[in-house]
Parts: sequence; structure tokens; C-alpha cells
Amino acid sequence: MSGCRFTAAKTVAEAVDSLVAAKGDGHIIAGGVALVILMNEKLLQPSWLIDISRIDELKGITVGADRTIRIGAAVTHREVARSSEIAAVYPMLTEMASEIACGRIMNRGTIGGNICLADPQGDPPVAMLALDATFRIAGPGGKREVPARSFFEDLYVTALGEDELLSDIHIPAPVTNTGTAFGKFAARKAMDYSSTISTAVSLVRDPNGGGIAEIGLGLGGCGVTPVWPEKTEAVLRGRKPDDETFAVMRATLADEIEPIGDSLYSADYKRRVAGIILTRTVKMAYRRTEGASQ
Amino acid sequence: MSVDITLTINGQRRALTVEPTDTLVSILRDRLGMTGTHKDCCMGICGSCTVLVNDRPVSSCLLLAAQIDGDAVRTVESLESKGSLSPLQEAFLTFGAVQCGYCTPGFLMTATSLLEETPSPSRDEIVEALKGNLCRCTGYKKIIEAVESVANA
Repeated sequence: MSGCRFTAAKTVAEAVDSLVAAKGDGHIIAGGVALVILMNEKLLQPSWLIDISRIDELKGITVGADRTIRIGAAVTHREVARSSEIAAVYPMLTEMASEIACGRIMNRGTIGGNICLADPQGDPPVAMLALDATFRIAGPGGKREVPARSFFEDLYVTALGEDELLSDIHIPAPVTNTGTAFGKFAARKAMDYSSTISTAVSLVRDPNGGGIAEIGLGLGGCGVTPVWPEKTEAVLRGRKPDDETFAVMRATLADEIEPIGDSLYSADYKRRVAGIILTRTVKMAYRRTEGASQ
Repeated sequence: MSVDITLTINGQRRALTVEPTDTLVSILRDRLGMTGTHKDCCMGICGSCTVLVNDRPVSSCLLLAAQIDGDAVRTVESLESKGSLSPLQEAFLTFGAVQCGYCTPGFLMTATSLLEETPSPSRDEIVEALKGNLCRCTGYKKIIEAVESVANA
């Protein structure tokens, strides 16, 4: 006997009630593709598993007439990757979700689970930082909203309280002349837990002059959390996407990020790779803005 | 605590009492004696334990049986019918896509799902679909050729 309790929650309220009753010992499980690894490795022996994978409120992708996007926390990576509505608004999200691990992980893993895991190498958090998404969080006191840009606090630590869960993700609509792109560098394409660098870019091209009017960035594998590099964003604003700009961007980025060296790549190597991948991704996002001549 | 679930495994309904922490692969192998599904990395990396749940490939090492009450599971044991191997299994033998055989059930189930969804996949689509399965013997070429031969049949 494992001595573990199991609740197959049917509503968000039931899941929150279980979290409260578990007094800090409850573990939310959705797809399980991260949590069960910890269990298999005996790093986690849960005393109460609260399954949210079949809660209707946590399902579904909605793209509004104003092009804002709402994604339920229990939506799988496969559903994000295959959504033609999402692809029409933010191609970056389609690229991001299509490249997560491999098919059998995409079939179970959820966008909300990946965000709440807050792995520094995870891809969905990086996209959410670039797009300035807002996370809606359910708890015993009702719902509250936390911007993605203040959600990731430390290594595997988020703004979620022990009796809270992520319910849905809200992504603002793109303004005119927006282009987005996602870049990734991985040691093995189908495996995301080893030395992956990822870069998400959402930029707005200035129709007068063609400079970068506004930009949002997110970086994976560049620190202990998914990283929102504000200084690197700031040096790009108002500049044209030319070689000089990218040299300045890479220098700023190298100072701003603190990648963790591992058995495959040193921190300095990752710093350089991040600059190269980010340059490519910004160029791609720029090319995708409406009326871009390149 | 124990959880009562019902699974349809290879077309047969099975009522099971499981622990919340039991993975599907452990139920298949250790409880039901269905050892066709192989267990290796237990981290979702190698693909050896791939089975189909509601027709989609999943890592059965990362899936808790308690979470899929009512679902339909298909394992490599479902591929043969009346003592005959499936065309895909025959192709693996013909093309030498099997050496030690440890990864084979996972490749077969991943490829079965691909061919059901996309009956005539391109070589690129086959490579993409199989990218999550590791083989340390054959070097992949023969596996890809075996799947291609069935795709073009």
C-alpha cells in the first residue's frame, strides 16, 4: 500500500478544497509527465494526489473576436500545437508547442503543468513572458491574476500558494505590425531537459522608418527561472534590426543572463548560443510583421 | 487508499483496483503479466513503454493508471491477429529493424498510431513521429525503411 490519497477532481472548487484539506501536502497532477518522473526517481512520495486532468473548466482554447486568447491550464501541448486559431494569431505559440519533447509527451503534458513546474528550460513559460500573458489562479479566496512576468520567483518556485492552482492563461491581442517567433537549441530534439536554450520574441515594427517600436522577450535555459530580460528588451526598442543593433543586443544579453553550466555545455557557451539564437529569432519575428520588406 | 478503475485493454474490459501511484506500465507488466510493453528509462525519454491510450501514443511509465479510468489502452500484444503478425511487424522483420528488440514494442506502437492517423506519411513525417523513440542497435535507418514500406504498400 502506498498510503497515498487520490482525488479525481471534477471542478476547480473541488480541487481547491482538496488542496486546503491536504494542508500543504497536496500535489496537483494533470498530464503527469513531470510529476511522475519525480515519483519514479523516488524524489517525491506524494501523500495526496489531486487529479485535475478531467476538469472541464480547465479545458479549451478560446480566441476572441478581439484576438485575445484564453487557454485552459489542462490543455495539452498537442491541442495548442494543432490549434489553427492560435496559429493565425501567434505563430510563435504553434512553433513552441510543436517542438515540446515528442508526440507522446505532447499528448499528455499540459501547458498549465509546464508553467507551474517552472523549469528554467521549459518552453511555454518563455512564450508567456514574451507575450506578457496573465495567469488566472484559483484559491480558497476565489480567483486572482498574476502577470507571467512576476510569476517565476526562483528555481522551481512560483507565485502559486500551497492551496492554489493555475486555472487559465490569458494572452493579449497583437497590435498592428506585430511579428512573433520561437527559437530553440537542444542537444537532442526530442528531449527538453538537457541544455536547451529557447528564445521567444514578440515585436512591433514601426511603420514609419521600420525600427522596432515595441518588443517582448522570454528566454529558457538562461538562469534559474524562465527569464524575462528587460535590459535586453530596452536596448532593442527604437532601433533598426541591423548588425550593429544585434551586436549591442548580444553584449547586453551576455551581461544580463546567468545560464547554469552542465555536463554538456558551460555557462559561457550557453551565453554565446543564447545570443545567436536570439538574433535569429528577432530577425524571424521582424520578417513576419505586416509589410516588412525582408 | 485504493482506486477502482475500469480499462479496456486490447478490446477487453478489465476492472482493476490500483494504488494512486501505480503507473500504467507497472499494472500491465506486473499485475496483468503483459510483458510486451517494455520498461526502461522511466523518465519519458526512451519510448520503450509507448502504448496507445484512446488511440494516441503515451509514455506508460509516466501515466498513472488511476488517471485513465474508462479509457481504452492498446499494447503491442494487440498487433497480431489469429497468430499472424501485423504488416508493420512483418516489415520490421523483413527490413532487419529488430536487433535486441528492447525498443521494438515502443517503435511499433508509435508507428501504428502514425499510420492510423496518416496512412501515407512522408519520410519526414515518419522521422518526426519516431523522434522520441531511442534505438541503440539499428541506427534508425532500417526502422524508418520498415515503416515507409508499410506506408507505401
